[in-house]
Amino acid sequence: MTKENVQGAGEDEQQAQSKKALKKQQKEAEKAAKKAEKQAKLAAEQQEADEDDFAKDRYGISPMVQSQQKLDRALVRVQDLTPEKAEQQIWVRARIHTSRAKGKQCFLVLRHQQFTVQALLAVGDRASKQMVKFAANLTKESIIDVEAVVKKVEQKIESCSQQDVELHVERIFVISQSEARLPLQLEDAVRPEGEGDEEGRATVNQDTRLDNRVIDLRTTTSQAIFRLQSGVCQLFRDTLINKGFVEIQTPKIISAASEGGANVFTVSYFKTSAYLAQSPQLYKQMCICADFDKVFCVGPVFRAEDSNTHRHLTEFVGLDIEMAFNYHYHEVIDSITDTMVQIFKGLRDRFQTEIQTVNKQYPSEPFKFLEPTLRLEYKEAVAMLKAAGVEMGDEEDLSTPNEKLLGRLVKEKYDTDFYVLDKYPLAVRPFYTMPDPNNTKYSNSYDMFMRGEEILSGAQRVHDAQLLTERAMHHGIDLEKIKAYIDSFRYGAPPHAGGGIGLERVTMLYLGLHNVRQTSMFPRDPKRLTP
Amino acid sequence: MPMYKNGEVDPALKALEERQDEVLRRLYELKATVDGLAKTVTTPDADLDASTLSRGPAEAVFRGTADLDSLLGKDLGALRDIVINANPGHPPLSLLVLHALLCQRYQVLSSVHVHSSVSVVPPPLLSCLGPRHIDSYVRQRFQLGFTLIWKDVSELQMKFNTQSMCPIEGEANVARFLFRLLSAEPQDPVTVTQMDSWIDTAVFQLAEGGSKEQAVTLRSLNSALGRSPWLLGQEFSLADIVCACCVLRAGLNTSAAANVQRWLESCQNLGHFDCVYPLLQ
Repeated sequence: MTKENVQGAGEDEQQAQSKKALKKQQKEAEKAAKKAEKQAKLAAEQQEADEDDFAKDRYGISPMVQSQQKLDRALVRVQDLTPEKAEQQIWVRARIHTSRAKGKQCFLVLRHQQFTVQALLAVGDRASKQMVKFAANLTKESIIDVEAVVKKVEQKIESCSQQDVELHVERIFVISQSEARLPLQLEDAVRPEGEGDEEGRATVNQDTRLDNRVIDLRTTTSQAIFRLQSGVCQLFRDTLINKGFVEIQTPKIISAASEGGANVFTVSYFKTSAYLAQSPQLYKQMCICADFDKVFCVGPVFRAEDSNTHRHLTEFVGLDIEMAFNYHYHEVIDSITDTMVQIFKGLRDRFQTEIQTVNKQYPSEPFKFLEPTLRLEYKEAVAMLKAAGVEMGDEEDLSTPNEKLLGRLVKEKYDTDFYVLDKYPLAVRPFYTMPDPNNTKYSNSYDMFMRGEEILSGAQRVHDAQLLTERAMHHGIDLEKIKAYIDSFRYGAPPHAGGGIGLERVTMLYLGLHNVRQTSMFPRDPKRLTP
Repeated sequence: MPMYKNGEVDPALKALEERQDEVLRRLYELKATVDGLAKTVTTPDADLDASTLSRGPAEAVFRGTADLDSLLGKDLGALRDIVINANPGHPPLSLLVLHALLCQRYQVLSSVHVHSSVSVVPPPLLSCLGPRHIDSYVRQRFQLGFTLIWKDVSELQMKFNTQSMCPIEGEANVARFLFRLLSAEPQDPVTVTQMDSWIDTAVFQLAEGGSKEQAVTLRSLNSALGRSPWLLGQEFSLADIVCACCVLRAGLNTSAAANVQRWLESCQNLGHFDCVYPLLQ
């Protein structure tokens, strides 16, 4: 090859290259032109949009409320939106329950606790297209402030709690935005189980609920359950205060296990260890020996029981009663059952809305009871069970299935969900239970049942130090560990009896629910420590 | 004035007053005795203890409390509790009378409860079974339980042994059941039929009937009671209890004919109807 050829080839190449380069340049130029065009178009649109958005000041995301100013503005609650407020222009703060755009309109459902109301935003002289689009794109659960006119509706809005009115939105601002992806949908969380399966729609399982408790607690059902539970606590306190009881607080860090060594949590206590109280038993009794006569306490109870059942928690709220009596422990049973009846009556008369709300998702029979409370004896219960075909010994404890069967038999005959079983066999009760004076095989102890499940275990306590020591030795208990307890009865102790109930279990059984975790806000069990 | 000397009452006047008081007191006592005798004389024999019944073709023998086992089934250690659910708007008067009779024969543990389906019950209905027995806290000491529950039911209902018995409905039917526990049922089938007939008449004509039916029934009662002291003849029976209660509840006692009035008074004198009168408003 001659130099000239190479040169020629090089020139060819260069020519080819420059052609390619040209083409490339051309393409890039086209691309750039298109991009510039697009940008110009967008800018033009934006300008157009900005120009047309006459409602710019009436919507948007508010700056985070850092207490910048004190606005003299009254916020109306959703539950107060009734026809009486028709034509009034008011401000409402609520969550976005749902939002749906339909052409030039946007339908929102706003929610506050158990109450929902429909809100409407339509393109018109008050709202621009951009404003409606903004509203339709708001994420669920965001908290918003809305200024609106309350309007009466001719046809009832069945799907909301406020059925006779709707809001016509004038201004809408976001106070706290929610992330777009929610770990669970609230509609799914209130859907009844059966309905979910039938229509192929989702329901939320318990673990997901408990993992995202903050959102699960927002549902109407949860709000109703915990308001009712608050009612139980309040009725318990009010009834007992009216009966002359004194509320006491007992220590939860204690030196010795009260009910028995097995199911107790140990904590490190400086250089030694201590235990978390399994019940306020010992301290309630000491208060009686200290002449307080009638006491009650509300506080946490810790049971390290590795039971993964529908009705056991490792930590729950105990409502405990202890009372000195004159001559017979039935005086105490009467007092306790009367307190329970007052609680049931209070719930029946003042919490019907909450009961109905829970029943929508979890249908159940209303809770029935007798006044005065039905009291059966253990021997009768055994006879009833035997008549129903159950084989059991006279002094045997009742197993859980037998308790449930007994509950059904009592319900069939007396139509009551609440009753007392008196005179349990001595052998199955704790060492501090007073034996029956007429029959050493039985004791002055009792259990109370709701819907066939035990809610209270109580008894007349041994208030004599000598007898108490004998009973403890009989049960093989180390006297050194309970020395302080026995000592409290050495300086004059009145005859007394009492019992305790679990707040979560009572709420669960009253409402006819099936898992105690539904009635415990942040439940604790062997497998769950958070939230 | 001769009666008052020195501001003091003349002792002679005092003595006179005392004699007057004494005479009046003795007069009252005499009147009470005569009244009592009158009641005993005018009230026909009404002892339900079968041992004093006139000897008829079928002789009933007083069998005592062991018959509870044969009537109600073997005692398994549970209190034999009869549960009656009644509407407080229609108190079952005849059952209250039967309760009083049962208490005379057996050791009965009576209790009254209000069911949660009812919010308020007037106080007389809460104490209609009488005062609580002193030993009522020891259920085992009783042979029979009588548990009355005021409940929102449309028809009176009795439950006893839910495993082997269906509930019994209607005041008349429960009354028949309870009467059998008194072991005082007439043995002769004709008399039993007559008793049933009177009971049905009372329930369907007197209690549920219009004024025409009530008038007809009252006339039959009057003529039957003209022939004998009690509806079935010489013996007081369930027919008398149910009919009397229906008459009283319908408020027809004041306007009834002579024989019916006399018969109602006799019923009252027996003492078993004491629980009923406070409930008639």
